[in-house]
Amino acid sequence: MTEVVIDQRAADRPQPGKRASLVVRLTRIYRTEIAIAMAIVVLLVGISFWSPYVLTWGNLANIAQAAAPLILMSLGVFLVIATSGIDLSVGSTFSLTGMVAGLCFSAALPWPVVCLISLGVGLAVGAINGGLVTVVGLAPFVVTLITYAIGASLSFVITNGHSIAIADPNFWTLNGGEMIPGITNFVLFCALAVIALECVLRKLVVGRWVFAIGSNDKAARLLGIPVHGVRFGVYVASGVAASFASLLSLSYISNSESTAGANLMLQAIAACVIGGASLFGGTGSAIGAMLGAIMITVIQNGVNLIGINSFWQGTVTGAVILVAVLIDRATKVRS
Amino acid sequence: MSAPRETQAGTNATAFVLEAKQIEKSFGATHVLRGANLRIRRGEIHALLGGNGAGKSTLIRIISGSHRLDAGSISIDGRLDPNPNAIAVVFQELALLPHLSVAENIYLPHRKCAFARLGEAACYAEARAALALVDEELAERTLDWPVAQLDLHERQFVEIARALSSGARVLLLDEPTANLTFSETERLFGILRRLAQQGISTLLVSHRMGEIRALADVCTVLRDGRSVLDRVALSDISDEAIVEAMGQKSSAVSPPAPRGAPAASARMQIVLRSPGVSLSVASGEVLGLAGAPAGPSGVIETLIGASRPAAWQITIDGIDVRFPSPAEAIRAGVGYVSGDRAEKGILATLPILDNIVAAARVADRRILASSREATAAQTALDMLSIKASSIDALPQTVSGGTQQKLLLARWLAPAPKILVLEEPTRGVDIGTKREIYAMIRDAAAAGCVVVWWSTEFTELIAVCDRVVAFDLSGQASGVLDRDELDEVSLSRATGMAA
Ligand SMILES: Nc1ncnc2c1ncn2[C@@H]1O[C@H](COP(=O)(O)OP(=O)(O)OP(=O)(O)O)[C@@H](O)[C@H]1O
Ligand SMILES: [Mg+2]
Repeated sequence: MTEVVIDQRAADRPQPGKRASLVVRLTRIYRTEIAIAMAIVVLLVGISFWSPYVLTWGNLANIAQAAAPLILMSLGVFLVIATSGIDLSVGSTFSLTGMVAGLCFSAALPWPVVCLISLGVGLAVGAINGGLVTVVGLAPFVVTLITYAIGASLSFVITNGHSIAIADPNFWTLNGGEMIPGITNFVLFCALAVIALECVLRKLVVGRWVFAIGSNDKAARLLGIPVHGVRFGVYVASGVAASFASLLSLSYISNSESTAGANLMLQAIAACVIGGASLFGGTGSAIGAMLGAIMITVIQNGVNLIGINSFWQGTVTGAVILVAVLIDRATKVRS
Repeated sequence: MSAPRETQAGTNATAFVLEAKQIEKSFGATHVLRGANLRIRRGEIHALLGGNGAGKSTLIRIISGSHRLDAGSISIDGRLDPNPNAIAVVFQELALLPHLSVAENIYLPHRKCAFARLGEAACYAEARAALALVDEELAERTLDWPVAQLDLHERQFVEIARALSSGARVLLLDEPTANLTFSETERLFGILRRLAQQGISTLLVSHRMGEIRALADVCTVLRDGRSVLDRVALSDISDEAIVEAMGQKSSAVSPPAPRGAPAASARMQIVLRSPGVSLSVASGEVLGLAGAPAGPSGVIETLIGASRPAAWQITIDGIDVRFPSPAEAIRAGVGYVSGDRAEKGILATLPILDNIVAAARVADRRILASSREATAAQTALDMLSIKASSIDALPQTVSGGTQQKLLLARWLAPAPKILVLEEPTRGVDIGTKREIYAMIRDAAAAGCVVVWWSTEFTELIAVCDRVVAFDLSGQASGVLDRDELDEVSLSRATGMAA
């Protein structure tokens, strides 16, 4: 029957009214990101047993250079994924931007003008994606599958499939120059983009809206959040990010090819997933997406250095995604 | 049907179809269940009671196997290695496959061999038989409909049929009536009574004492994860004693009487018009909406700017207004608590902080998510005495009734001029209901217009100044003033049994 209830509640229950200290909160929020960062270190050390060269400055700089375009692209894709959408068109946008830039260089336009025109490609593709998703109300997967297909084909059409060598003697400075002495531009761009985006997502109301829409778009609408506007914005951001990534890469490679972005879309989505984003939306972080992109690049670099046939790259990346997702899930279940 | 009257007598273990002993469960640092007991006899309807966060849902999840227990034992028919099909949870929704037919939903889950031929005819017959046990009419009518076309209560019936056809002997129902109208609840209860006579036991969680008295034989009361009352016959115990055992003030059983006229600062006058009806509400009034969803939802969607074209016309202080979007409505001072917590209310992947301040951000056109928001959110939690480990926790770490309070907490800071509530007491415990009624009256006294849709007539009668009744077709069928308000008049005007 009625037992005596010993009141231990006050002692055991977490005390409401107290908020954990900032450091504790940050380690909690960035648990996944910290885990990935450590995994990257472990991976680098692991590779160094086969190939000590991996940990030299020269190679780390190679990794950073190779990772930069993927990082920028992943940030854009992450924004879309956080709203529970998907952007399959970024690889095509990357290629198409490169070809448009190549044509502009052939017409001997100054490189800053070329950059502006080329960024318009991403802007246009993003606006088409965003418009079809929000105004027409089509599913993001379908919409971006369409723009992916069209973009991929157009990047062959406009130069008839020929690659274009960039002759402009100054264009390399976009990637390799030092606007701030001592920091190469591509590092600067990536750092700025990641920090800015992370601040927007955490500290600006519009950033919280991105997650709110991914979490529950009906509730978001009833809470007065401009769901269509934000959705449109993330697709545009994703398109522009892909274009900028393409320019950075072009500035380094100086050769524009129609297939340049073919593999990048899957890698960018994988980077977001490794970084802790859920494809259902509402979770993840810009830092996570960046770390995911770095991890993928480290794997590619390692596969090359160890001398494994590069056909295996995809298999290794797939295995790493699996491990990352399993670890992420395990840490979430336990907490 | 034999009404069991024992308390702790008859401890012969095999007498119980389900026996959960000394169950312990913690989530991280939160100790949720601390030696909870639950014993259910064959053919019994057993009520599991307790305040919000007492651990009822957690106990049900442990018994049904979706959470692991830390300590304790669960036996079925006295055996510790139970047949997993003997116990079935009937979820409120979502557990069915919406695009498959009713029949498929019933027979697919317990096919053992994935490649066996389905034997369409046999499966259909089996599904029909199971559904007929629950509701013959439904079995005749809907067997090959996609589940998405069924009403909520009909989906619950399908879930029960599915459980029965898998051989379940104990049904666990966690707040099954929260989203049902009165007559739908009656139908559900009729089914459960009939099943009890056939030896199927039911465990029922509900916060409505009236319902529990009407249906259950025995109750177990949880408080902070302990069974403070263990198998007490409901005929032997008063409501007050139960509420006291739950740890709430027994005076909380009845809602407060409405207060007098609003503050002198009452200025605003709202007129709601649709073909045939015109309603005028002033600041300080609580206007109730009663009846089947079709009617009230038209008024509500217009008020909160959710529907275009609007079904009703709104005039505020003589000026026609139209809210083209929820954002406009919020900035004009309309607050809204949705009745569909999971679908339209909670932002499940965002911390409690964002859930609380979301509306204020839009109302104030904020750009920065400032650190002052944390203070505001914490104040809201304290004011509504919401039990949450921290404002950084996810909403799913608090109980169902507590999530409901989070929805109300959203509107403390924006202080809306018009507060639109849909079933705000859904799933909250008796003590909290009392607090919410007081909040509603306080908001009105502060000069707010409250528009409140509820399917519980008793709370409308106790709290509202006036009630608009809608009939089953969604037409406004009458406006009842305070002195005309009672269950008989409401049920006549709404066409719903009371
Ligand atoms: N996943 C979780 N992580 C942390 N705490 C949890 C989790 N799930 C539940 N809790 C805590 O366990 C306690 C009991 O929750 P439970 O949902 O069982 O309550 P309940 O009795 O069903 O309440 P209600 O009547 O509101 O539905 C609550 O205090 C809640 O905060
Ligand atoms: Mg519950």
